Amino acid sequence: MGTVIGRVTLSVRSPRYAGERLLLTLPWKRETFAGEQKFDPAIVVYDELGANAGQQIGISEGSEAACPFSEPTPVDAYCSMLIDEIIYKTEL
Amino acid sequence: MRIATIRGHVISAVKHRSFYGQRLLIAVPESPDVAPQIVLDTLGAGIGQRVMISSDGSEARKMVGDESSPARWAVCGIVDPERSRTP
Repeated sequence: MGTVIGRVTLSVRSPRYAGERLLLTLPWKRETFAGEQKFDPAIVVYDELGANAGQQIGISEGSEAACPFSEPTPVDAYCSMLIDEIIYKTEL
Repeated sequence: MRIATIRGHVISAVKHRSFYGQRLLIAVPESPDVAPQIVLDTLGAGIGQRVMISSDGSEARKMVGDESSPARWAVCGIVDPERSRTP
């Protein structure tokens, strides 16, 4: 999971990217789920769903991030869902 | 594979088409250095249960039946409660 804080635009880029939105995103840590404002260092996430700054998103990382593309694409983080609501119990 | 505890779930209307109709739970791994993950669940794990999760994307893609799915983490088993283990 991550919180979007902005976008990256590239004029000169890999020809394999087409119509991409690149989101600058802070990945969540364990403390973030408990309500603290602590995040991992920002990563760039490829987005096809239309997330904006402030949105919470689900991120697929690693080789699975490239699975939605029919051609080999240099993507290692992919926005796979826009999160509307989180139900999380800090105490069980 | 990791042992994790289910702590909640997420609700998402806009998502990759392969996730439509899937249960998306939040699993907190027992090793403290790993961040909680959103995991696919087809076994019916509930909040508070210990589960085994796997980061094998090819298995997750089979679970959703879509080879273009970005799914990565999935519940692959529910850990038996301690008192049911044979000594």
